[in-house]
Amino acid sequence: MATESLILLVLLFPLLGGIINGIVGKNLSESLIGIIGTAMVAIPFIISFSIFLSLDKAIQIPLFTLIQMSKFSLNAGLQVDGLAIWMTMIITGIGTLIHIFSMGYMKGDSGFHKFFAYLNLFVFSMLILVLGSSFFMLFFGWEGVGICSYLLIGFHYNDKEKGMLNTLAARKAFVMNRIGDLGLLIACFLLIGKFGSLEFTEIAIKMKTIPIGMDSLAIISITLCLFLAATGKSAQIPLFTWLPDAMAGPTPVSALIHAATMVTAGIYLVVRSNFLFELAPYTQHIILYIGLATSLVAAFIAMRQNDIKKVLAYSTVSQLGLMFVALGLGSYSVAIFHVTTHAFFKALLFLGSGSIILANHHEQNITKMGGLKKYMPTTHMVFLIGTLAIAGFPFLSGFFSKDEILAAGFGHGPIIFGLLILSASLTAIYMFRMYFLVFFGEFRGDNHTRDHLHESPAVMTIPLIVLAILSIFGGALNFPSFMIESGSHWLDDFLSHSTFGLSAVHPHHLDTTIAVGIMIGTSLLTLTIIGISYIIYVTKKKTTKEESEFIGWEKLSTKKLYFDELYHSLFVKPIEWKSLNVLPFIENGILYKIISILTAFVVSSGNQIRKIQSGILSSYYFWMIIGIVGLIGYYLIYFKFWNS
Amino acid sequence: MELLIVTLALGLISFIIPRNNIKLFGLMGSLVSAGVAIFHLLNFDSTAPLTTLYENHTLPFGMTFHIGYDGLGLLMIMLTNLIIPIILLSNYNNSKTSESSLFHALVFLMQFGLLGVFSAEDGILFYIFWEFTLIPIFLILYWFGNGTNKILLKFFIYTLIGSLGMLLSFIALRTHATSFDYVDLVAAKLPAKKACWIMSGIMLAFAIKIPVFPFHTWQPDTYTSAPMSATMLLSALMLKMALFGMIKWMLPLAPEGIADLKWLVLILSVVGLLYAAVMCIRMNDIKRLFAYASISHLGLIAAGIMIFTKDALVGASVQIVNHSIIAVGLFLIAEILESRLNTRNMSEMQGTATLAPKFGFWFAVIAFASVSIPFTAGFIGEFTLLKELTDFNPWIGILSSTTLVFGAVYTLRAYQLSMFGAPKNEIFEDLRWNEIAVFFILSIAVVVFGLFPHLISDLVGPSLDRILAIFNAPTSL
Repeated sequence: MATESLILLVLLFPLLGGIINGIVGKNLSESLIGIIGTAMVAIPFIISFSIFLSLDKAIQIPLFTLIQMSKFSLNAGLQVDGLAIWMTMIITGIGTLIHIFSMGYMKGDSGFHKFFAYLNLFVFSMLILVLGSSFFMLFFGWEGVGICSYLLIGFHYNDKEKGMLNTLAARKAFVMNRIGDLGLLIACFLLIGKFGSLEFTEIAIKMKTIPIGMDSLAIISITLCLFLAATGKSAQIPLFTWLPDAMAGPTPVSALIHAATMVTAGIYLVVRSNFLFELAPYTQHIILYIGLATSLVAAFIAMRQNDIKKVLAYSTVSQLGLMFVALGLGSYSVAIFHVTTHAFFKALLFLGSGSIILANHHEQNITKMGGLKKYMPTTHMVFLIGTLAIAGFPFLSGFFSKDEILAAGFGHGPIIFGLLILSASLTAIYMFRMYFLVFFGEFRGDNHTRDHLHESPAVMTIPLIVLAILSIFGGALNFPSFMIESGSHWLDDFLSHSTFGLSAVHPHHLDTTIAVGIMIGTSLLTLTIIGISYIIYVTKKKTTKEESEFIGWEKLSTKKLYFDELYHSLFVKPIEWKSLNVLPFIENGILYKIISILTAFVVSSGNQIRKIQSGILSSYYFWMIIGIVGLIGYYLIYFKFWNS
Repeated sequence: MELLIVTLALGLISFIIPRNNIKLFGLMGSLVSAGVAIFHLLNFDSTAPLTTLYENHTLPFGMTFHIGYDGLGLLMIMLTNLIIPIILLSNYNNSKTSESSLFHALVFLMQFGLLGVFSAEDGILFYIFWEFTLIPIFLILYWFGNGTNKILLKFFIYTLIGSLGMLLSFIALRTHATSFDYVDLVAAKLPAKKACWIMSGIMLAFAIKIPVFPFHTWQPDTYTSAPMSATMLLSALMLKMALFGMIKWMLPLAPEGIADLKWLVLILSVVGLLYAAVMCIRMNDIKRLFAYASISHLGLIAAGIMIFTKDALVGASVQIVNHSIIAVGLFLIAEILESRLNTRNMSEMQGTATLAPKFGFWFAVIAFASVSIPFTAGFIGEFTLLKELTDFNPWIGILSSTTLVFGAVYTLRAYQLSMFGAPKNEIFEDLRWNEIAVFFILSIAVVVFGLFPHLISDLVGPSLDRILAIFNAPTSL
């Protein structure tokens, strides 16, 4: 079959799965629902893999025109190129594994069919996002994933204790995302205004004919608006506070949406519009600094979080920050490389934490865990691999992708490079703090839980093992050139080969001595941190305090640098105050009074005029004459003054 | 002509139908009128400037009896005749109104008045039909609502005063035209100062009806005290008269005046749009919240119309249709909650989705449609309107776009407070068949117009072009 129809199938299957499970899922058995849900993501993975093998150039697939306006038209269309198909494979591949895992994790949940329907619909929206041929289609997917994310974060909405909190987190996520969406929307308006189109290829072509200056106001506003959208979806400063709250959703959701796929949409957006960003070095600088700041802030906050999922959430924010650093430095394929490896190891870590949480009777506090190594050997092994990968342990996937970001940063001065190293070190520190606290030492939870600690079933461990293998060998996608003779930088080549704009941007490769030097340096650093953490948490058996007991910098970290409180008093409070006090005063105190007076006036004058209706004929004649005189008078005045 | 006569006849016959048959008669009758409208749509020739239904130019004082429609008028006629059956269907189980012959008669008379407004081709005729619609809705509010006399009086007098402004403007315009016929009124050339006065007079009527800030205070009280069907009639159809009037009557009649009024109306609309949205954020009365949300949505349409470009008007048309659909859905939701929980206070609802999963689902669909997500008509409408506003003035565009955020805040808050959480009440009867049918039809309509908005733009396009041609024609001043 031709790629055109194949790619439609890729989209159709998850949509179909969502519809089937949503409508008839209630009457099906759990295993059947799970199999349908999984198959509808697995088949698209196989199809997209076959497309990937045969893809040699970008393919446009126009579908239909929604509306033809006078200055532009809104079209539905798809586009398959290297970047799109690569993202498709990540989404469907990781998606399949997470669907399988969910069959075990969600077992017995009353909303089992709904869960799989939402997950399928999420995959569908995400695929539209990456396969769309225009900013308009991208926006469709962009909002679609936001809605699925909303539904899935608030999935346990009727929980007795946490129901309202879950849905509050869901609403926060949706609203903060909407602020970003606003940026995307305005960027769309500006793009239409400037280029008269929203199609990626058309804009790219028109950029050659429509002169648009480097760092001109137009290009800076467009790119800044796009970046605002990216900060919303990808949880960067200033819109990052929703992501940790989004952990209220079931853990597979955190793995799929809030770690591996949806939150990378912002990175995808910037890579997709690289030809715009290349013209705006100003915006690129902003991206660089925002990414760097986010990475450090999130890593700092993750240092003293005691909720296992919160640590992973902040770690995600921090890693996304690193990807934005790569984007800010113009290394687009490096960012996608890190997106890929991050999808592997972060999905692994989240699913691993899901396995841990399930074994601990939904306890997420790491102060209540400990010594899980002997109870859950498989989970321990894969979690260790994930931790090593994210910490940048030599030759695991995260080592290579993070190293490329460091290498890119090296060319931009010692301060940026130093801060990147700091961020990477912090990652290793908080990850190993968590790892040792969870798996080593004595179990600190209650006896009941201890007696029931168990390894998760195969349906959950098998996806974990697959992800662990990917986390180990994922670096092979983009080996640096000095390590192997041929086939180095395979991902760079693949992406730039068939993605518009990327071929023009060649990743900057350092010379071998410096590259090897950085590698050895970071390896030693990571190993030292692991060693010190081992001494602190295992040899000296130090355990952490409860979150309420922290003081000093630890308190600052556990309180998330008071970002939530700041936003609350800066934005939420004033608007709510207006909504509760100021506007009702204007409404009831001023406007309403005026109208009441007006009404009273009309009614009372009605009462006055009623007296005229006296029934006396002569009085009627009198008023008639007055009326005629009045009309003649009006016309005289009228013709004299108005028409002169 | 049968378009108007059928509904008038239905209205008159309804008076004498016995009350145990009236429910079915009403529904069937409204479907017949919908069928007539569809017949007109199928035979519509969009290239003709006007499809005249009836013409009589021999009336005194330059009045004419001229009715007909262009694409825009037909869109509104279709909207009226298709929304009325849906309103009656959602009202099917409200025994107080649905088993009353009087109620049905008034609804059909209302429909008659609306069709008259949308097909009038004469200024005075337009005014008469415009005022006529006020009578049935007032009587419905009076007999079937629970509003105090004060609220009713406010509504009646307020809208009446506004209409007077329009009447005076038409009379003043007549002094420059040979008759009250639309064509003649449009052809009239006015001095700019006078045009401004005339336009203000017409705008006063429309601003109160839409309602534009600060003329909106009649609306929330009226909405909350009105029975559901009247609220739907008001928000889905009656307010649209004013938006339709802005496009078809106000701007072409006195285009010379727009320069003075454009910014005023635009700013008031945008202020109202934000004002109402912020008002909603902490509101706990669900019906009142939807009333303010309606003000906010209509403010955007009014602002878009004032830009008066083709794209903005197309966007406004799409959004007019979308808002009618959404308004029916939202007020049905408010009614379901209010009638089954005996409260409109959202803080006393909580957890309804667990008790009534079907309701939870359909509420979610309507709620998302009302925050205009992609694939719904609202998205296309808001996208075009905001785009045009941004083109006109970036700051106005950005300010108006913030409603996307506010809209999400208050709509999802309403959904969360009423639906989510552990159930507070013991029982909640899930949706009845007619309610499911209504939600189903509305959702399908929203999605169809979201995917194929050109259904609307193709219909109204040529007539908008003609209106714009009048507007852009060089004046002889």
